[in-house]
Amino acid sequence: MTSVALGAEARARGEAQTLGSNSTVKFDAVTVAYRGAIVLKPLTLDVAAGEILAMIGPSGSGKTTALRAVAGFVRPASGRIHIGGADVTDLPPYERGLAMVVQNYALFPHMRVADNVAFGLKARGAAKPLIEERVDDALRIVGMQKYLKRYPRELSGGQQQRVAIARALAVRPRVLLLDEPLSALDAQIRRSMVEEIARLHADLPGLTILYVTHDQSEALTLADRIAILRDGALSAIGRTSDLYRRPPNRFAAEFLGRANLLPVVVEGNTRTDGMVAVRAGDDRLVVASDAAPSGARRLLCVRPQHLTLTAEYGYSNKVCGRLREVLWQGELTHLVAEVGDTVMRIVATRLPSLPERGAPLDLFFAPADASLIPEEAGV
Amino acid sequence: MSDLAVRAAPARPNFNGLWVAPPLIVLGLTFLYPLVLIAHAALVADAGGIDLGGFLSVLHSRAFLNALINTGLIALAATAGCLVLGVTLALILAFVPFPGSTFVARLIDTFIALPTFLVTLAFTFLYGSAGMLNGALTQSFGLSEAPVHFLYSAWGVILAEVTVYTPFVLRPLLAAFSLVDQSQIEVAGLLGAKPWRIVRNVILPAALPAAIAGGSLCLLLTVNEFGIVLFIGAKGVITLPLLIYDKAIQESDYQAACAIALVNIALSLGLFSLYRFAARRLGG
Amino acid sequence: MLVWSRSGRFIVWLLAALLIGIIFIAPLAVILAASLAQQWNGVFPTGFTLEHYASAAGGASGDSVVASLITGLVASLLALLCGSWAALALRAQGEAWSRTLGLLFFIPSAVPSVSVGLGLLVAFSQRPLLLNGTTAIVILAHFVLISAFSFGNVSAGLARLSPDYEEVASSLGARPTYRLFNVTLPLIAPYLIAAFGLSFALSMGELGATVMVYPPGWVTLPVAIFGLTDRGDIFSGAALTMILVAATLALLIGLERLPLGAVGRRA
Repeated sequence: MTSVALGAEARARGEAQTLGSNSTVKFDAVTVAYRGAIVLKPLTLDVAAGEILAMIGPSGSGKTTALRAVAGFVRPASGRIHIGGADVTDLPPYERGLAMVVQNYALFPHMRVADNVAFGLKARGAAKPLIEERVDDALRIVGMQKYLKRYPRELSGGQQQRVAIARALAVRPRVLLLDEPLSALDAQIRRSMVEEIARLHADLPGLTILYVTHDQSEALTLADRIAILRDGALSAIGRTSDLYRRPPNRFAAEFLGRANLLPVVVEGNTRTDGMVAVRAGDDRLVVASDAAPSGARRLLCVRPQHLTLTAEYGYSNKVCGRLREVLWQGELTHLVAEVGDTVMRIVATRLPSLPERGAPLDLFFAPADASLIPEEAGV
Repeated sequence: MSDLAVRAAPARPNFNGLWVAPPLIVLGLTFLYPLVLIAHAALVADAGGIDLGGFLSVLHSRAFLNALINTGLIALAATAGCLVLGVTLALILAFVPFPGSTFVARLIDTFIALPTFLVTLAFTFLYGSAGMLNGALTQSFGLSEAPVHFLYSAWGVILAEVTVYTPFVLRPLLAAFSLVDQSQIEVAGLLGAKPWRIVRNVILPAALPAAIAGGSLCLLLTVNEFGIVLFIGAKGVITLPLLIYDKAIQESDYQAACAIALVNIALSLGLFSLYRFAARRLGG
Repeated sequence: MLVWSRSGRFIVWLLAALLIGIIFIAPLAVILAASLAQQWNGVFPTGFTLEHYASAAGGASGDSVVASLITGLVASLLALLCGSWAALALRAQGEAWSRTLGLLFFIPSAVPSVSVGLGLLVAFSQRPLLLNGTTAIVILAHFVLISAFSFGNVSAGLARLSPDYEEVASSLGARPTYRLFNVTLPLIAPYLIAAFGLSFALSMGELGATVMVYPPGWVTLPVAIFGLTDRGDIFSGAALTMILVAATLALLIGLERLPLGAVGRRA
């Protein structure tokens, strides 16, 4: 069923539309306190209709709190929350036009799959024919039609989560809230589920998805934009590829993928080709970055997989170091090198031979693969 | 794992609190109001105004003091018995498992649901003057009259209470023992420690909180026990609950009954607080 | 394992079997035997008869069975309703409130049953509400005594309930009432049933308060049994006791076997 048909359906029933601006989410200086301590510092954030925004961060970063504030389980100490342009801060969860999927699936064990999926519709008093149709449809979207009559305890973890997603989709929510939905699943199932969620997002372009996770690889795969939270505050936000290629700060660089951070000093002559010249010890390097004042100290960020040991790729940047460790892992080889005082990690897929410990090493990388990050004290 | 759970503070004026009202009202009408009336009957004279004289005279009466002492001694003895028996049985059931030990645990659980006077009635047949024990003894030793009389004394009450209330010590102990790390015991055994040593150093410390909680519960229950004492019906073995019954129903002396009840309730509430304190603080 | 040697283990088993046999099984066996005996003068009962049960079936004894069952049923249902209501309402409150109020709901079980009976007698033998001498006061007495257990059981069940279920239900659009009846209650059904069973069993065996308030026309089994044994009619008393035990056990086992569907036993 196409998204257009879904939208028409929704309009016909007078429920919240899943197309258009009805499914935007806005945090307006939202703070949350718990037992006197601030758990979420003033958060201002806009989520566009139909996008997947991943909120990631370590434990205690406030990401789940932010999600629960949107859901209505947590009342902000200050600030407002808007969904589809309307202020929902004073509305109870069941009046916000949302649906939630949690880490432990929370399928109602006393109901069959069909009844679970129908739950939201029945709770809202929908007519029987509509319920049947929607349940059918939702289960088909997640590929679980055959399990209509089963009980949750007869299903595997991955299957249960799919049913939970179907249950959420059946009510045609404006915004879908996913709270670490894959954390309870085996690594292998998780990989296939990530693909399914990606497919879901493609098939339902009108559905806004808020996705909370501590796993940055899920975020990198699925999200249109990523919000990185830390200690209750927003540390970085941006389009996924932008955030990955040009992390705005050290935390973002290190949380989203692995990063090598090399202290450098900006050189005098400013170039006009979108590049900046920097110096790391004796090495002169060129980095793709906005202009920076001469003499400024920065961290040069380059990902382990963008470093190579040979000049054959023609990368113009080169730093010299000494090999400290080598770890062959089949598909990849991990190398740890010391460049001056900095430890740098390299991931190589093709190495003609394994270098020896202690041997001097040349590391090459392209200017476009590096970026500059402000140096932060005591991070 | 997700962040710590944060509770929703109420948005509008919290009408949810009103939902507690109906059960509270019911509690108030059916329990607190009668309690107040008891206190009133015990402490207030017919003409109004606190009359401590009547109250105190009841407290000084022979019958009351007798009953108070009986109640206390019997409760303490029964609790001690429950603890000894409970710990022994719990040790055996938890650490020397035999086929059918789960059945036994279930049996004990079911026993809790049965009335307390059942045991007393059985004891009449077992230890009564015309019962099995006496019958066996008179027959085998050719005695002219039944030698065993303990049933019609405080000891009969104590024995019955131990039988009935040991499960209340047994259950928390079994639960506590199930948490003891088996490997600790096995290693200790391999290192050469005798069973008694293991019990002393590994198991009993784990049991202490549960034993204290179970023991204080036993104390509370034995102080409140009525059915057993009534069924034993021995002269001189009168506890506070039985005295209340006598005063109210047999003698229609409601003021005295209320006075005694007030003391009994105060005692029970004190023991109840002790039990809650023990259970919470010591994690029993 | 504490005891390793074969002989050591055997001795311990023997000890356990003896203790358990003497303390728990013997009383029950003895009463069973007495209920079926014609006479019991020596060590063992003599003669086998069902006349005690027959006399229990009809007349005053039969009435007691009915009285006990009805009292148990009504009091337990009321206690379940009140206890569950209190448990659910308190859960929504803050921790401090639910701790203090919860304690209040437990107190009726801490107080001796005779005092509860006395209190009800004193309170309802006068205006405004005159219940003295009615069956209602007996049921009321049982209700007061067993509400605390219902409350405790249901509270324990609610505490083990993961908040996920209700939160997800809420997010899907379920109003609080719908959520209560379609999610919360079904999920704690095992605890509700256990609470009901326990309440019923306690009611069947209740003596202290009943004996203070019962009217002549409403004699419950424990009171009847006491009456019989006090008169010296211990064999009929034994028979009636066996009927009480059988009824209680049948109820408990019956409840346990209730098909609970997908929820099953949540220990």
